[in-house]
Amino acid sequence: MADTPEAIKKSVRTYMFVGAILFVGTIVTVLVATVPWLDFGHHGFDAMDCILGLTIATFKASLVAFIFMHLNHEKKAVYWLFASGLCMVCSLAGLTALALGDPIFDKFFYSGH
Amino acid sequence: MIGLQYGLTALCFLAFGFYLMMVMRWSIAYPHQPLPEWMGWVFTDGWKARWLQDGKVTGQTYNMFGAMHGTIMVFLGIVPLGFGAFGNYVTPLQIGAPDMAFPRLNMASYWIYLLGGLIMCASFFFESGAAKSGWTNYSPLAGFADGQVVNQWLAGQTQWLIGLVCLITSSLLGSVNFITTIINLRVRGMTWMRMPFFVWAMLVTGFLLLLAFPPLEAAGIMQLMDRVVHSSFFMPSGLFTKSEGLADLSGGGSPLLFQHLFWFLGHPEVYVLLLPAFACVSEIIPANSRKPLWGYKSMVYSVLLLGFLSFVVWAHHMYMTGMGAAVSTFFQTTTVLISVPSVVIITAMLISLWGGSIRFTTPMMWACAFIPMFGIGGLTGLPLAFNLADLHLHDTYYVIGHFHYVVAPGILFGFFAGIHHWYPKITGRYMGKTLNHLHFWPSLICMNLIFFPMLVQGMAGFHRRWYNGGDAYLSKAADSVNIFGNTVVQHIDMNIIMSMGAWTMALFQIPFIINLFTSWKFGKKAEGDNPWNATTLEWATPTPPGHGNFLKEPVTYRGPYEYSRPDCDSDFLPQWTEPKHLGSSAKPPGGH
Amino acid sequence: MEIPYVVTPRKDTGLFNSKIAIWLFLASEVMLFGGFFSAYVFLRLGADYPWPERTLPVLPGLINTFVLIGSSVTVVFAWASLKLREWRKFQLFMGITVGCAMIFMVLKGVEYNVKLHHQALKLKDYSVVEGHLGVESEDGKPVLDHKGSTIEENLIFVEASKLTFDTVRFYKPWVEELSAQAEHHHSKVALAADVTAITKVGQPAEVIAKAGEPLSVELLNRIQAAHLAARSHNAANRTEALRAEWVTAKAANPGKKGWQIASGVNIDMAALAPTLLGEISTVSFSVDPPAKLDFRPRDIKAAEGQSRLRDDTVVDGKLLASPMVFHHIDAIDFQHLVMKAKEKGIDPEVAIENSWPMKNSAFVRDAWAWHQGEIKKLSAELLEAHGVGKNGKPRYVPTHKELYRIGWKDLAKMAEDHGRAKLSGVDAAKEEFFGPNYEARGDETFPGFSVPREQVGFASKFTPAWNTYYAIYFTITGLHGLHVIGGALVLAYYLFFGKKMYLSNPEWLANRVEIGGLFWHFVDLVWIFVFPILYLM
Repeated sequence: MADTPEAIKKSVRTYMFVGAILFVGTIVTVLVATVPWLDFGHHGFDAMDCILGLTIATFKASLVAFIFMHLNHEKKAVYWLFASGLCMVCSLAGLTALALGDPIFDKFFYSGH
Repeated sequence: MIGLQYGLTALCFLAFGFYLMMVMRWSIAYPHQPLPEWMGWVFTDGWKARWLQDGKVTGQTYNMFGAMHGTIMVFLGIVPLGFGAFGNYVTPLQIGAPDMAFPRLNMASYWIYLLGGLIMCASFFFESGAAKSGWTNYSPLAGFADGQVVNQWLAGQTQWLIGLVCLITSSLLGSVNFITTIINLRVRGMTWMRMPFFVWAMLVTGFLLLLAFPPLEAAGIMQLMDRVVHSSFFMPSGLFTKSEGLADLSGGGSPLLFQHLFWFLGHPEVYVLLLPAFACVSEIIPANSRKPLWGYKSMVYSVLLLGFLSFVVWAHHMYMTGMGAAVSTFFQTTTVLISVPSVVIITAMLISLWGGSIRFTTPMMWACAFIPMFGIGGLTGLPLAFNLADLHLHDTYYVIGHFHYVVAPGILFGFFAGIHHWYPKITGRYMGKTLNHLHFWPSLICMNLIFFPMLVQGMAGFHRRWYNGGDAYLSKAADSVNIFGNTVVQHIDMNIIMSMGAWTMALFQIPFIINLFTSWKFGKKAEGDNPWNATTLEWATPTPPGHGNFLKEPVTYRGPYEYSRPDCDSDFLPQWTEPKHLGSSAKPPGGH
Repeated sequence: MEIPYVVTPRKDTGLFNSKIAIWLFLASEVMLFGGFFSAYVFLRLGADYPWPERTLPVLPGLINTFVLIGSSVTVVFAWASLKLREWRKFQLFMGITVGCAMIFMVLKGVEYNVKLHHQALKLKDYSVVEGHLGVESEDGKPVLDHKGSTIEENLIFVEASKLTFDTVRFYKPWVEELSAQAEHHHSKVALAADVTAITKVGQPAEVIAKAGEPLSVELLNRIQAAHLAARSHNAANRTEALRAEWVTAKAANPGKKGWQIASGVNIDMAALAPTLLGEISTVSFSVDPPAKLDFRPRDIKAAEGQSRLRDDTVVDGKLLASPMVFHHIDAIDFQHLVMKAKEKGIDPEVAIENSWPMKNSAFVRDAWAWHQGEIKKLSAELLEAHGVGKNGKPRYVPTHKELYRIGWKDLAKMAEDHGRAKLSGVDAAKEEFFGPNYEARGDETFPGFSVPREQVGFASKFTPAWNTYYAIYFTITGLHGLHVIGGALVLAYYLFFGKKMYLSNPEWLANRVEIGGLFWHFVDLVWIFVFPILYLM
């Protein structure tokens, strides 16, 4: 934790820099979603756009978490606490989506494969 | 203290939930006869005219009582009693803290809980009545219930959701408070592995509440949206009901989504109920068998594993929803896995009794009954974990029997044990022995009278939601069409045994209530601050613990269960007793 | 003993109490929003209608993202200033943060408001039109409702001659509304016949209300009181009677089970009748002369001759033609229709040709023809840019949405192609925010459109009711908005009431601001995901 005045003064510049990256990241997200010649993958929205958009968002979110929320020099205990939430969210989202994709009346069982 | 407020409020809600169940049992046992006056006196004439048909319990009323019985018992009774009351009272004492980390948050959490509970129960007096779609509140049923009410904010079904959001907020605040307290307010020398098992159980319970409740809050908010602004989160396309015809909704939602979000809470919730009971019993057994808790470390690891696994087993409540083989297999596997840590814990408790010099004090009686009763509850759960067996048992009385064996003679017995155990700390007096015998033995017998026949009926195929106990199958003779009628004839009279058991049990709770209040003034005085000769820190405080709990900051020198040490004169060595030879291995490690 | 570690961190964990608490709270918030995002994924993957992708205007969302990121930067500056003990700077940065929160909420409010006034309609054949519900006119004048405002709602009209209220369930605001409406149409709503009932056992029937009394809540309350009293009395009597029957039946059939004799145990209603009071479960009012009353579709189960309201009020009278009148339509959408057609194996083009809007509106036919031309151009462009794939077909083709949806930008472009003026400057920017500008573009671009009631499938404003996408959009952003408000309130509290604590224990205030800031960053972090997921995907 940056606690000395010097360290804090130093980190203020980091914050400005990170803020700028976040702004740029936002613009990039919008551009890849709206400008045709920046459209990755197939024409229109598809998995590629989804992955790209979420990757940028995750990158931005990690910047916020690590720099603004000081996770980069936070105590281990905090990692455990927060990670427990993230881990359970993954299980919730992942398993529900899995259950959705695996219905008993799946075509696989009926189309005679 | 807030723990006591929680405890008394929760006991009141438990009594109310029990009463609802007594009325339901009447409807099951005697569906054609008017509710007798000894139960019906609670209602006003106007209420009876609205909700009873010629004095008989109607299906609608039964549904309402059923839904509210479940909700009240689980959310308003047992969770606040276990986590709110025992956790709040005992946890700070056991870790040597002056109070919870955020006392005002604690207070807020209690009042929000009470508010939520009152909102839910107030809806009994609305024209629509209280919620009536089961405690699981499945959509689309719950989305339509009370749909005729113009002002949706005054419909019982909506009030249920608002109450639920309050309760979730309350337990969220509570769990944040608990975990912070346990992490940061442990006294000098109280290292992780010196914490009593009780505290570990509370820590895990806190995490379960913290992480499992929010998805239900999300589901509750979405269902509220469905009801109030007519969205279709949980409403499929082309929904057609008898009363409304084709529903005027966009559709496109998924009823399954609600079940996923609900059971994501619902399963950890079971452990939120259970762990505080484990916690109480695991304190009482070593103190009364004068032996260390057997396998303390394996119990700690088990409870951590239990907490983690409980998040990935939820869909075993949903085998019948049309999930495919892959997902079912996954959840079946995790479900069977989770029984391992529970069995480890219960076995450790059992072995702790082995070779001890057992004192059959009042709490110990309850604790000893807890083990086999919970054992039955746990073991009857295994068939339900298996996909194939569940096809037959799903939604039958077998499920009710299983669940109630866990909760009623299991968890509640654990809590009775806890009340008897810590009563001398709270009041300075013991609870009466005679009255306890009058409470304990009939309760034990009645519990089995009520719940064992359920298992039998369930395997015969009795559905859990028959408001008339299967009577509809008897209205005409069993023939080739009504083949199920024969099975029902064979088992329907068990309904009367079970109902009689339930009412008798209600009668024998009266000794407990008398005991609880009279012992406060007239009970036998406890000898000193540590009447059970126990080792954990709560017994180092004055009785009752005043503001700030401890007179001077205690120091912990050793593990929590140092009973019958061969190198010791007395048969117990409290955590706070200074070692005779300072400077040896017993120095408090870890700093401030 | 006092509670330790309120300000200073505990040595072995390295954390002070509230730091642990806020991270725990954030973990639970992760679960809360995680629940909603899981719901989003679940609903989108399982949707049985064309999911409206990239449907929101991006500009407001983009500006809001900037605002929120900016406030995230300033809040961390505010904390740093506090650590450096620079109170004025702290005030400045915290002020900006709270200001940003307010801007965010205002923009959000604008965004919501546009949607709440924008109508969508799915016809029975699953074609969709969107636009602004308008004003029905008679003799060139707009029809006003009883409050004197123009009708911009989707309403069902009944020429009511009789209203029958359920004495228990009648909904008071509706009673008042119905009498106001009738008054507006110069009709009188009065009790059709005397209301009489036995109110005391053994006495003759008593008149509770006389024929001709005007409809009022008070009158209904009076009748309700008599009814409820009678109902309680009768129910108690019937219960007693049934109880007595059971005693007799059990004595007569010793050894028999309850269910074996139940069918023979009944109340002797004839014997009981003299002890009962008169219940008045419904009460009828005549509307003279019959008046044209309006009802929102959700509240009425409309049927020719007799309709029923949600509070069980029965409305007798002729069902009037109640078309949905769009003042302007700004989108025609065949996506759902095509999806349904494909499910049934019907050629999409044929399905569209046979759809109700195509058959009944020259404008829709024109627009569709123009749209086909645009699609051809787009296909050619894609073919030129990306060529053909291995199977000999073009590698990239227009999306389902491009193929079958004519949005307001398309309609505007069509009008421009046909020689209407382009919008520029402020007007064009405003459109990015508020949606189509009917006034500037005029009736030729966004003409009126009327759909008869029997073609109406499902109609809704762009509220959560319209489809699950809007439902999850409103829920997530609404909840996020509540978090913004909550966070801003806490930060504003430190800003305006923190001075005292700053003077006595600045480190404590810095800790608190750090905690508040952590929450604020989290709110920002959620938005970083909300923006692409709801606006761009």
